[in-house]
Amino acid sequence: MISTKGQVLEALLSGRFICQTSDEMAFVFLQNSTNFAEVEQHLNLMNRTIAATADNQVYYCAYQVIGDNERKAMGQQFREVSTSLLPLVEWLVLVQEAKGDNSPLSQGKVIRLNELQSVIEDTPAFTEQLAKIARYHLFNSSSTAIDAQLKLIFKRLTDLGYLQKPNPDNQIYLATGKVDYLFEVIRFIDDSENLQLVEHTEEAIKQGDLL
Amino acid sequence: MSNPLNIAGVKFLKALAKHSDVIMQAYLSGRVNELDYDSVVLEKLIGLGILWRPEPSEDLRLRSSIRGLLETNLRDERNRQLDANIGSKLAAIKTITSHYKEALHNQSYSESEVYMEDLTEQVYGLVDNLKSNVRNLWRRIHNEFGYVGSINAKIRENELAQSQLTEMRQQLEMFQFDDLATIAGNSRELRRLLVVHLQRCYSEISQELSIAQSKLIDLLGKFREYLHRSQLLKGFVLHSQQKPDFKIKNYPELGKVPALFNQAEAILKPANIDVNNVEHEQLFGELVSHLKQVRHSTGNTEQRRTQNFNVSDIEHIDIENDAIKQAVELYFCQVIDSGEQLSALEFHQQQQLELDQEVWIYGVINGFQGLTLDEQDFFEIDNLGHPHPLFSGNYIIEDVALGLR
Repeated sequence: MISTKGQVLEALLSGRFICQTSDEMAFVFLQNSTNFAEVEQHLNLMNRTIAATADNQVYYCAYQVIGDNERKAMGQQFREVSTSLLPLVEWLVLVQEAKGDNSPLSQGKVIRLNELQSVIEDTPAFTEQLAKIARYHLFNSSSTAIDAQLKLIFKRLTDLGYLQKPNPDNQIYLATGKVDYLFEVIRFIDDSENLQLVEHTEEAIKQGDLL
Repeated sequence: MSNPLNIAGVKFLKALAKHSDVIMQAYLSGRVNELDYDSVVLEKLIGLGILWRPEPSEDLRLRSSIRGLLETNLRDERNRQLDANIGSKLAAIKTITSHYKEALHNQSYSESEVYMEDLTEQVYGLVDNLKSNVRNLWRRIHNEFGYVGSINAKIRENELAQSQLTEMRQQLEMFQFDDLATIAGNSRELRRLLVVHLQRCYSEISQELSIAQSKLIDLLGKFREYLHRSQLLKGFVLHSQQKPDFKIKNYPELGKVPALFNQAEAILKPANIDVNNVEHEQLFGELVSHLKQVRHSTGNTEQRRTQNFNVSDIEHIDIENDAIKQAVELYFCQVIDSGEQLSALEFHQQQQLELDQEVWIYGVINGFQGLTLDEQDFFEIDNLGHPHPLFSGNYIIEDVALGLR
């Protein structure tokens, strides 16, 4: 059996995101500063370092020194993120609205597929939205059945690391810290491109109220 | 038990029990539908002060004291009122204490006992009231204001709870223990009630309140974060609807890469199999047995695919090349030319065909069956052979003879 440190190193080097939901043992291990320093030392050998999101809830592997090769690899990853951003955001909005509690998904939140499915089936607007999301290249579904579309989307998101299925027999999913990472990406883009997304939404809501 | 107060109380409670359905309807829906119930019953309930009519044209409603009783007992989430009027209660306590001390001074002990009972009730009532207020606050915190739907409503509820909490803390400051200690004087009973008991509860409650306050502030932060996030999401969708050609800047190409996009490539690939490791032998065995199935199924699909292609290819195959077909054609031509009956095996010997005899006979039968019905009418085919010695109904063909009709 390999040690926890080995497992943590493996997870980081395989490009996985470590958070309390996805891998609690590794997360707790990294919160210890001695362990953190040891893992960091190993990673530094390979020009890598541990990166974390702003609230230190999600750890992932980043480059220590950025050269041309690293830049190319990052460009590739960035293209993937930026092309999948809109489908993911639309999916997040759909889940939030279908759940009806107005709180967006974040690490550790539970999604029950059956409940979500029945709400979506009962609401034509959600059904349309789901069909639109499923057709995106990221999910690439050709099915017209709600059941198949949802299952495909959830499977794909689990593969990508945004969701976790703790029990293979149950259709219950947990959101991982990668969802929080996604929010940071959106926030960053909003800030750096000065999109003023929040202000626009507020304005739209106000206009909606007036109408 | 002839005390009129006792009789009236029992009568009141009995009325509550007897008409619980009316009361619960009034509690749950806010008003009583007067057509559903007997007007005598409703009049009686109004008379007992359980129901009342706020305006002449309005429906009957439940009295707030009864509603409060139910809310407290049922731990209903709708109960958001905190009664924090400590000042007047403290004043009442001080007044009763003066009565008690006066009675003691006049040496009317029976009277002082009644005052003492009243005072105890007041003090315990005050403490109970404070504690239930704190419980009420905590209940709302624990389910994160789950009784309202939208985040904005939760934020407003949170602000209400915070203002109530601040109010309670201000009211708690009215407890002046040096004052109370002076009033209690050197009476042991009074000191126990007014100083020891109240002080203990005071410190307990103020501690609880400060924890509740920090929790409320935490929750408010959380709600604001939720709100911000959902606005970000909706804003992003809105933005991409309004500007479909919007492209995110390629940050990794900038001079200084933002830390957020500095994400290393996954470099660990699965390790290779070490076939010399005896410990892993069993596992490998399982894996291999699993692999076979996989290969089998992929092979199948491959075959199916090529077969699909073959189907269209077969149509173009030149049948003239087939040796049997040619020989059969020759045989038929010879029969036509000679006009005589000729058995297939005879032809086989004549022509010295290299084909197997059985294959040849099958070929001839096939050739005959392959003709159109009109063509078949020109020929006559005769099966030469014998029935099966053991199984009746089976006929073994040894040769066929073909002739013109």
